[in-house]
Amino acid sequence: MRRKGVSYAKYGYLFSLPFILAFLVFSLYPTLYTLLIGFTNMKGVVPPPLQILDDPLQNFKDLLFNNPTFRTSMMNTAVIWIANFIPQLTLALVLAAWFSSQRLKIRGQSVFKTLLYMPNIITAGTIAVLFNALFAYPMGPVNSFFQLVGWSDQPINFLQDKTIARGIVAFIQFWMWYGNTMIILIAGIAGINPQIFEQAQIDGANGVQTFFRITLPNLRTIILYVLVTSMIGGLQMFDIPQLFLNGGPDGATRTAAVFIYTQAFTGSYLYNRAAAASMILFVIAAVLSACLFYILRDRDAAKIRKAERRLRREAKLAARGGAVE
Amino acid sequence: MKRFLSVAVAILMVLSILAACGGGDSGSGTTNTGGAGGGNTGGGGGGGSSGGKITINLWSFTNEVPDMTKKYLELFPDKNVEFVPTIIATTEGAYQPALDQALAAGGKEAPDIYAAEAAFVLKYTQGDASGYAASYADLGLTDDMVKEAGIAQYTVDIGTKDGELKALGYQATGGALIYRRSIAKDVFGTDDPAVIKNEVGPGWEKFFEAAAKLREKGYAIVSGDGDVWHAIENSSDQGWIVDGKLYIDPKREEFLDISKRLKDNDYHNDTQDWQEAWFADMAGTGPKPVFAFFGPAWLINYVMGDNAGDTYGDWAITESPTGFFWGGTWLLVNKNVLNDEAKKKEVADFIKWVTLDTSDNGLQYLWANGLMSDAGTKDSVASSVVMERSDGTLEFLGGQNMFDVFVPANAHASGKNLTPYDETINRLWRDQVREYTAGNKSRDQALADFKQTVKDQLDIDSH
Repeated sequence: MRRKGVSYAKYGYLFSLPFILAFLVFSLYPTLYTLLIGFTNMKGVVPPPLQILDDPLQNFKDLLFNNPTFRTSMMNTAVIWIANFIPQLTLALVLAAWFSSQRLKIRGQSVFKTLLYMPNIITAGTIAVLFNALFAYPMGPVNSFFQLVGWSDQPINFLQDKTIARGIVAFIQFWMWYGNTMIILIAGIAGINPQIFEQAQIDGANGVQTFFRITLPNLRTIILYVLVTSMIGGLQMFDIPQLFLNGGPDGATRTAAVFIYTQAFTGSYLYNRAAAASMILFVIAAVLSACLFYILRDRDAAKIRKAERRLRREAKLAARGGAVE
Repeated sequence: MKRFLSVAVAILMVLSILAACGGGDSGSGTTNTGGAGGGNTGGGGGGGSSGGKITINLWSFTNEVPDMTKKYLELFPDKNVEFVPTIIATTEGAYQPALDQALAAGGKEAPDIYAAEAAFVLKYTQGDASGYAASYADLGLTDDMVKEAGIAQYTVDIGTKDGELKALGYQATGGALIYRRSIAKDVFGTDDPAVIKNEVGPGWEKFFEAAAKLREKGYAIVSGDGDVWHAIENSSDQGWIVDGKLYIDPKREEFLDISKRLKDNDYHNDTQDWQEAWFADMAGTGPKPVFAFFGPAWLINYVMGDNAGDTYGDWAITESPTGFFWGGTWLLVNKNVLNDEAKKKEVADFIKWVTLDTSDNGLQYLWANGLMSDAGTKDSVASSVVMERSDGTLEFLGGQNMFDVFVPANAHASGKNLTPYDETINRLWRDQVREYTAGNKSRDQALADFKQTVKDQLDIDSH
């Protein structure tokens, strides 16, 4: 009896069905609905009948040209994200290189990895409240410590200072997420062909050289992935700034997501404007992701492909030329 | 090996995406929990089928009203009702969005009775969400009953839209100056409320004179500028919104200067209300001992009583330099209740018991005299009929009868300077005032930034 080849493709569809359904209902539909709301008059506790505005782009224009608070919230998001991401990636890279180094063979690795990942497990709300209590004014642990050590004789209102407030939010984000980034990078390093490392070792490359010449270039796709997900996460930064200082002081930690929340769910309930702001955020995320993909594209591969194409063209030309002659 | 690694990496990536989403999306998560009846501390529905009992969904922001239902069922065991409370705190502004969604969603789980606080009650009685509220008259609670009970006028004003009563409170929250007797003796030579009244007021100039005297002896007159703000906020002539535009009442604008003066002269401990240091000042354990707090009776009972520590009994109250009221809870009924006769009757009975029953078994009498439980505390209530029969002597106040001060203070309370946006606008305002007093920006800049943020966040222009 001969068996025909069995097609497993349908199982693929079957298994991905739950996700596709969940995505359509809980992601795609809300996204499209949000896009629609952005063009309408939907606002207030009891919104009026849905109607497209006379000037459909009114909400977008208001936000972009007539709303300094929105602009500062975008700036805040950028500043806080950059201040959190640079140290986060640096530390995660260093730790990942150490943990995966064949030469160092650090003992008790899994313990360290677990410990470093820990902050990510604590709920963001808990951490925000914790830090708020730590830096409390006029009485709080940090202030008591400063006075004990003699760095200040007056209590300092840390959380009234914009730079410090932003710094703390950035630090919390950094502290919560570097463990996660590190784990991803370690996985990425583990995927690099060990022969390359061996060869480098035989050629006499030291740790630093190995890191910059081998680990980093081979990690490019993973780093791109980390960058893009972290950037999208950063653009949506909400829980820490909202719970830590409610976006204060003077709006210094009011990120774009906090702004959108306050627009949509407090005060005047400006659903339409919040939706428009979300869409602007979405466009920014898309554009920035595209930029990252472009910057971190595989230049060598592109070069080779280009060279190949040129060769082929030349060969063709030569062939044609030969025919003419 | 390679395949195993790539699978491992893939799984990690999926996990990290999930983790990242978990972090980033919790914004929408928070609102969802609010909407889906999060914080439901009750039995979660009950379903109304248990022994044919009528289920009444009760939404509140503290356990105050839910506790009343327990007392109610204790007093009237024959009542065939079951209260299903949903409690969501107002901190972080989570209560309103959740309530709004629950009201809009309707259905069996919709709130039947819901509570609203002074900071946002107008939205539900006169503002955008007033359409959800049933009129008290439709429940059989008439204006004559309100008059008979002698309900404080401002609570009626706040609960009335176009002559139609939609909400009533059970408390009267006229405010007073709550001061430390020992400090008063040390600085002013006496702790007699009649004398202290004239030492610290009336008016802010006298208040600052007293502050200077207190500072000479190393005392702070108040804990932070938030204490003064509540007195200023609800003694102003106009609310934040006049004719649909932002209006800064001169008295409220003056808060900038008062706050700055308090800070520059080191007259307070620079705390923020509702934070650790503020509570510490009630026990006198802050950097400087604090002379006074501004507040209504509930502040004494529910906040200072628990936090006073060793200073318990060392307090007295007198008339505030400026009359004001602060807070209070109003009860509203979902107009859908009117469609169900049986439920309507039970809801009306409960509302009547809370807001209009002046008998010794009515809530207000029990409430005023601290008879709600063994550890009950006294509080000033809305019905003047009840107040006349009640005794406000408090151990916390060294045996002073607080109703002597609070009943006249209720006359200062006005429901005319509230707006539906107070909670949000107050937060923005206090934020800018703090920036100004901290010396981070000029007075004009603070005012300009305040107007701009209100415009950007609430879409409300200024005058």
